[in-house]
Amino acid sequence: MRSLIELTCYVLPEIRSFDRRIHREEEGEAMYGFEALTFNIHGGYLEAIVRGYRSGLLTAADYNNLCQCETLDDIKMHLSATEYGTYLQNGALISHSSSRCGSDSVSRICADLRDSGRHVLVSYIPDQKPDSFLCRGIAYQPMEKGAKPSPLHTTTIVEKCTLKLLDEYKHMLCQATEPLSTFLEYITYGYMIDNVVLIVTGTLHERDVQELLEKCHPLGMFDSIATLAVAQNMRELYRLVLVDTPLASYFSECITSEDLDDMNIEIMRNTLYKAYLEDFYNFCQKLGGATAEIMSDLLAFEADRRAVNITINSIGTELTRDDRWKLYSNFGLLYPYGHEELAVCEDIDQVRGAMEKYPPYQSIFAKISYGESQMLDKAFYEEEVKRLCLAFEQQFHYAVFFAYMRLKEQEIRNLMWISECVAQNQKTRIHDSVVFIF
Amino acid sequence: MSGQSQRLNVVPTVTMLGVMKARLVGATRGHALLKKKSDALTVQFRQILKKIISTKESMGDVMRNSSFALTEAKYVAGDNIKHVVLESVKSASLRVRSRQDNVAGVKLPRFEHFTDHSAGDAKSDLTGLARGGQQVQSCRTAYVKAIEVLVELASLQTSFLTLDEAIKTTNRRVNALENVVKPRLENTITYIKGELDELEREDFFRLKKIQGYKKREIERREQDAKKYADNIPLKTGISMNSAHNLIFVGAEKDDDIIF
Repeated sequence: MRSLIELTCYVLPEIRSFDRRIHREEEGEAMYGFEALTFNIHGGYLEAIVRGYRSGLLTAADYNNLCQCETLDDIKMHLSATEYGTYLQNGALISHSSSRCGSDSVSRICADLRDSGRHVLVSYIPDQKPDSFLCRGIAYQPMEKGAKPSPLHTTTIVEKCTLKLLDEYKHMLCQATEPLSTFLEYITYGYMIDNVVLIVTGTLHERDVQELLEKCHPLGMFDSIATLAVAQNMRELYRLVLVDTPLASYFSECITSEDLDDMNIEIMRNTLYKAYLEDFYNFCQKLGGATAEIMSDLLAFEADRRAVNITINSIGTELTRDDRWKLYSNFGLLYPYGHEELAVCEDIDQVRGAMEKYPPYQSIFAKISYGESQMLDKAFYEEEVKRLCLAFEQQFHYAVFFAYMRLKEQEIRNLMWISECVAQNQKTRIHDSVVFIF
Repeated sequence: MSGQSQRLNVVPTVTMLGVMKARLVGATRGHALLKKKSDALTVQFRQILKKIISTKESMGDVMRNSSFALTEAKYVAGDNIKHVVLESVKSASLRVRSRQDNVAGVKLPRFEHFTDHSAGDAKSDLTGLARGGQQVQSCRTAYVKAIEVLVELASLQTSFLTLDEAIKTTNRRVNALENVVKPRLENTITYIKGELDELEREDFFRLKKIQGYKKREIERREQDAKKYADNIPLKTGISMNSAHNLIFVGAEKDDDIIF
């Protein structure tokens, strides 16, 4: 009896301190190595979902089938046997929405749609709050009898695949809590930057706002994006629109340049992207644990790849060395000595010389022969895919989401390449640029 | 056309004959010249046709290459690259101008392209700076080549059409001269000549007739005179001479016979 009391007196305090550690983790300070204990509380469902999505990516066998297609209709037929089936139906995709709503409103909506003759695919997913459902509905109008199917273009295929990615992303975003939701949003800031730059450029050249909005990437849309067209210069742009978006902090470096002309637009885009990468990197470092480790590796590769590309593409243009240096990110394998060397490079062989000092990049540059830089992009893509696949080997971290988005993007690129080759009758080149993911 | 080669309605005079002959000479010379022109144009036409065929084949290849270059650029730089480039363009830097060429007398339009450097294509050198810049540049060169081929093809095709028109017109004129104008003129000339001949014959005939008349008139008078001279001696028995004297001399101074 007495020993039991002693046991509880000695052991209970340990357990209490153990509790405290768990609480600290729940507040966001992950203890590396112990994620298995607590990750699944908030992130387990979504990690399972994303791993499910990952197993739906096209395999080498699928790609081989697709490469042997003769026409776009064959491709569509093969794709409808994969996860893309519902998206490539002939009926027009009317609406797709993921929203939190009560169960009664959901049944009302379904009844309405069914009455109007449209098909509804609804999936009910229990949400965290006890009495609301996450209603994910895809409504599409079936083809009228006798109507001819619209001719299939490669752009349609790419559009529908991107739509699928968008749906998956929105589904995950709806389910996520902090800090995962912030992490997921960070992934889309890159597309947001592209959209902002596109609209600003278009407005500068007096294009119609609606047309510009249609050309934006769907993952990078935000609510006030249409008001970008109103701004006349950078300061107004910032004050009216951007200060409310997550991109606000990235603009502090660009705010000095008052006028928007064509030279500045491209530099502006790259400066924003540099600020975004650094911000993302710092955020991941704050998250700590496996996320920080894997994400810093992936982001470092991205930063280095951008540095090499910027160097190669600015050889022979008006971009000065200082400007070039300013566009390099301040993290990554190449920082800072590699950047010093890259900034003074004047042709591709010098770049190669600078990069071969770093073993991971040496293998990339070994794949392309002297003087040729066309295959460099494909080599970079292959390396990226390899690293992204490795991210899935570990559990209980957020980098799987980032890896999945990037892999999906690569898959869409592959599909675009295959469809274009088939449509343009260039079957011999089809294997040049398809990067197999598995 | 009723009557394949009619003739012109003219007054069949000698001057008209001269005029018609002059016109016939003109028509003949014009016919020869137009035929030469038509031959020259046909030679040009065939050359252009050959060039068009070869240019069209090369255009198929070039367009294919440039579309593929666009696909490569889209692959590396992202699907949006097309929109990015399109939105950042203010005015075209590659333009086409036309001028007229004179080929065998026919004005053919020819197109040539030139780069308008003021439109500022230097700024778009930075497109795809972070990824895909190389592919974008190679896509641009591919499309510039495609434009060159297309412009050449356009000028060849317009010259083809214009030459075709010109050849048709010239041939029409040659045929018209050969089959309508010249026969008509020849017929007119023949007609005039015929008329003139007929007039001459008529005149000749008239002349002959009148000569005949005159001759007969003279003969008749002589006959008459002779008959009269014979008649008087037969009645009174005096010689014709004295009868003659009787009539002509005696009638002059004679006293009246008074009983």
